Amino acid sequence: MNDDQLMTAVRESFADVRSVTELDRIVSRSQAVRFRRSVAGVVAAVGATAAAGVAVAVSVAMPASGPAASLPTRGHLATSHPASGPSVRLAAWSVARQTNGNIKVTFREAADAGGLQRTLRTDGVPASVTFTGHQNPACQAYTSGGGPAFGPFGANTGPLSGRSFIHDPKSAYTTPYALVIDPSALPSGAGLEISASGTPGMADNFQLNVVLVRASAQCTGS
Amino acid sequence: MGSQSLDFAEFYRGARHECLRAVLVSVGDRDMAQELVDEAFARACASWQKVSKHPAPAAWVVRTALNENISRWRRRRREVAVPDPGKFADVPAADGASGGAVDPRIMAALLGLPARQRQVVALRVFLDLDTERTAEVLGVSPSAVKAHLARAIGALRDDLVHIGNLESQA
Repeated sequence: MNDDQLMTAVRESFADVRSVTELDRIVSRSQAVRFRRSVAGVVAAVGATAAAGVAVAVSVAMPASGPAASLPTRGHLATSHPASGPSVRLAAWSVARQTNGNIKVTFREAADAGGLQRTLRTDGVPASVTFTGHQNPACQAYTSGGGPAFGPFGANTGPLSGRSFIHDPKSAYTTPYALVIDPSALPSGAGLEISASGTPGMADNFQLNVVLVRASAQCTGS
Repeated sequence: MGSQSLDFAEFYRGARHECLRAVLVSVGDRDMAQELVDEAFARACASWQKVSKHPAPAAWVVRTALNENISRWRRRRREVAVPDPGKFADVPAADGASGGAVDPRIMAALLGLPARQRQVVALRVFLDLDTERTAEVLGVSPSAVKAHLARAIGALRDDLVHIGNLESQA
């Protein structure tokens, strides 16, 4: 049996598997999807507006050189809006150092991977970031005692061992994605590879992957 | 029904069975696969103006269904149980108008593959995607797709030939 014959046999074995759902039901369900999105959009806009207000208040009350609680958030602005009328500017991603030293990364769009990579490295997270659909070929999976790599958004979910170095990853469909990295808890010699699969800009289809890799100059910068 | 809706209807009728088969290979459960594919098609319908411009809308549906599977898994915070391959090997193929009549030996062999290999087989075999498109959908390199497919074919051949030998000896 050659490869083509094998694949044909596999294909034909599924010939009787047929979707039983009528089109009307899909269309009806799509209306519920639209409704969910419209509600989520309103909630997100209200939340972002409220957050912007809080951010302004904090920056006024606490100068940049103030206490740890005022540590700045950096991000890449991905959207532009006309000068007239009210607008909400959301970053494609933002990186914020928390008072306990953890790094919170929030993803909204797969844009400016290089900027995110530089920002994370500056904050002490050895990282390789690619949003092109292909990972950095210099990166090698980190294994410890033969254990699996760590992927909080993928199939290999779960802590590698010991302390958890990523907390509270948010679901793909409760956008934006967010995760909190504890750099001090990363295993010795390990870094993070952050990559995307699916189609950037298409939220339903987009999937973020985070994998533990061996830290190296070519992969994670250190 | 406007022309945009008609476009989606045509796409749905033409792709729904293949998408279901591709997701079934990946998740291993017929009912779950149907639910995931229905949800993915509903999202495609809701965003049809955008999805219709995708170079492979069926791949978009399958990717979305698989993402939804991961998302549900994370919400439940427990492993999605993949049926024991032996379970398929021990039961006769089901017969039903709604489908599901998969040769249990082939299903068992597929479910014995690692998840990524199953996904590659699903996209290459049922959606007929080429290596580059498969790589794009899964977020891996084309060389990784080739390697996964080669390993999957090798494992499937070993399993199915082994079964064939056992049957010929019986």
